[in-house]
Amino acid sequence: MADPAIRIAGVTKRFESTVAVRDLSLNVPRGSVYGLLGPNGAGKTTTIRMILDIIAPDTGTIEIMGQPHLAAGVRDRVGYLPEERGLYKKMQVRRILRFLAELKGVPRSIADERIEQWLRRLSLITPEKDWGTAKIDELSRGMQQKVQFIGTLLHEPDLVILDEPFSGLDPINAQALKDTVVELKRAGKTVIFSTHLMDNAERLCDAVCIIAHGEKVLDGEIAAVKQAAGSRNVALSIDGDAGARDAVHAILQDRRVASRVDDQNRFFEIELAAGADPQELLRRVVQTGVGVRRFELITPSLHQIFLERVGATGVEAGMSGHG
Amino acid sequence: MANKTLVVFKREYLERVRSKWFIIATILGPVFLGLITVVPVVLASKTKSSDRLSDVVIIDASGTGLGARIGKTLASFTPKAPPPRVHVVKAEQVASEEQHATQQVIDREAVGYIVLDSTTTAGNSMRYAGRNATSLIDVEVIERTVQQAVLAQRLEAEGINGARVSMLTSIKIDAKTQKITDRGKENASGLASFFFGYGVALVLYMMIAIYGQQIMRGVLEEKTNRVAEVVVSSVKPDSLLAGKILGAGSVALTQVIAWITMSMLMYQVRAPLLKAFGVAGAGALKIPSVPALVGVALVLFFVLGFILYAALFCAVGAMVSNQEDVQQAATPVMMLLIASIIFMQPVLLNPSSTLATVVSWLPFTAPIMMPLRMSLIAIPWYEIVGSLVSVALGCWVATWLSARIYRVGLLMYGKKPDMKELARWIRMA
Repeated sequence: MADPAIRIAGVTKRFESTVAVRDLSLNVPRGSVYGLLGPNGAGKTTTIRMILDIIAPDTGTIEIMGQPHLAAGVRDRVGYLPEERGLYKKMQVRRILRFLAELKGVPRSIADERIEQWLRRLSLITPEKDWGTAKIDELSRGMQQKVQFIGTLLHEPDLVILDEPFSGLDPINAQALKDTVVELKRAGKTVIFSTHLMDNAERLCDAVCIIAHGEKVLDGEIAAVKQAAGSRNVALSIDGDAGARDAVHAILQDRRVASRVDDQNRFFEIELAAGADPQELLRRVVQTGVGVRRFELITPSLHQIFLERVGATGVEAGMSGHG
Repeated sequence: MANKTLVVFKREYLERVRSKWFIIATILGPVFLGLITVVPVVLASKTKSSDRLSDVVIIDASGTGLGARIGKTLASFTPKAPPPRVHVVKAEQVASEEQHATQQVIDREAVGYIVLDSTTTAGNSMRYAGRNATSLIDVEVIERTVQQAVLAQRLEAEGINGARVSMLTSIKIDAKTQKITDRGKENASGLASFFFGYGVALVLYMMIAIYGQQIMRGVLEEKTNRVAEVVVSSVKPDSLLAGKILGAGSVALTQVIAWITMSMLMYQVRAPLLKAFGVAGAGALKIPSVPALVGVALVLFFVLGFILYAALFCAVGAMVSNQEDVQQAATPVMMLLIASIIFMQPVLLNPSSTLATVVSWLPFTAPIMMPLRMSLIAIPWYEIVGSLVSVALGCWVATWLSARIYRVGLLMYGKKPDMKELARWIRMA
């Protein structure tokens, strides 16, 4: 456990006039689920591509499991699922999986055995049909994603890197993916995934790094990150008609009470203003006559921290959200 | 890294060899080749005059009995067909006789008719009309018969007796050709060697063009499918490039070897096959001998030439992001390749000219032009080695450039890069 799964130190990458990643340093602890968070274009994919030596950093060093990332065989211990997924359309499922495994140095006989197990596990082999002999373009989109996922894990990597794994997944597959991530962690693997969906990250990650405009905004264990952000947040859930809602809304506009509000219609995450008393806030809300379903002092959600730290400029419309 | 190249190689090779296209082309190739060796012979046998040659009407207005003499000769050519009907007429009756004869031809009572008159006996002209008037060989036979009959008639007029005349005038000459090279006389005819050289060059061209473009489409497919990113996260682009080129090259080589093997077998069954078509005396076509060293040189030219073009095609595939752009981007590479075809004709006609020497030294044309020249004439060994070195150098430059373009281009999507941008890619990689 001495060396972290990934150690990035002072990495910078420029593309022509833009700086994609600027002086980035971070450590991914072994055996953790690590979230690389940031709006689109923040440099998440560039960072991941540099870890995998798909592109070379201009400056800085990257270590995987304590070895330089360019060392022979190191990348064979990494499984990678790119954001833009794709497979050879005209190839049979078993052949493409064997190809991907062999590329990682897995001997054919072992690969074949694992392929059978995975195909069964993800029900690509059913009593009616063996999809392993089908060509990729005969598969539904969901099945193709399963095949791609098998290809990522077939060589039993110690480190799994998933770039925006939740994009384009339906709720069932998204749940299956979450289950797999938990399972991988339980098996002692390290999982890094990038996302702009904070809710997923908050539930799954042990530690996170938020980057924006190619620079690290903050990183650390989730608990520490939240601790650092303070605990002067209130979660408020209400019942009531539009009038009651408006009354509550008016209270929350009072900057002496709340310095910032995330208004989600029937749920509010409220950052208390300096010196404001939560009891006072509760009393005023009750006075309006709305039904209070929940009033709780909480640590801020990752989403709140993200909004606060990255700011509106870093988050163009739709780039952060709940998913 | 070497074994990763092997994994890529294996995939490229197996996926292509398993494809329907490959299997069909490999089987149909020799059938096609067989057809082009059998069909010409069958066609050549058709160049004997038709078997109804004598089934004609002879309108003889010469007043000298020329028609009867011709009729006798023609009848002897095709004993199974009806002999010519000779109508001796006056000059003014020719027109109406012709009308009548035309009707006979239309009604299929005759194949055609010959008109003989005073201009014929003067040795100037005759006329023939018939269904086979476009058959050069039929017309030539009739022409020669008439010519000989006029000659015989004149000789008889000079007092030489009939038997001697027919003996003197029956001449049949068949031209047999043989090729002389620096090595001396070749056993095979000049034509066979010509076709062999042409065939070798054409096969080389075809293989490079077809499989080079296949690789190009393969690279583009990896890009558009986005498989490229998964693959290059496991294997270096250079190893990927090498595996792809060697894989497709081996497929091409497999196909050529399969074609040669099957063609040899076809050649074995060629004689019986021709007999089945009713062509006697087959087997006259001889394949020119290929010395072992020339064979080795041919393979080397193929391998190096293939790598050179395949590398360039790969770079093109990595440059563009969609099907629409790829043909346009491939044009410069295709031009280089087509140059070989453009120079083929002059080199075939004069393989020892300065032009031929120059194009067999340029790296882009040498892989096709040198084998072409080698199969036509004997080339000194130092020229072959020099040309090989030139191709190898070209190969090195092409792969170096392509690897750099490939490395950058593989993950670049969007507009096709212009020359300036391409130069930046090459510096960047």
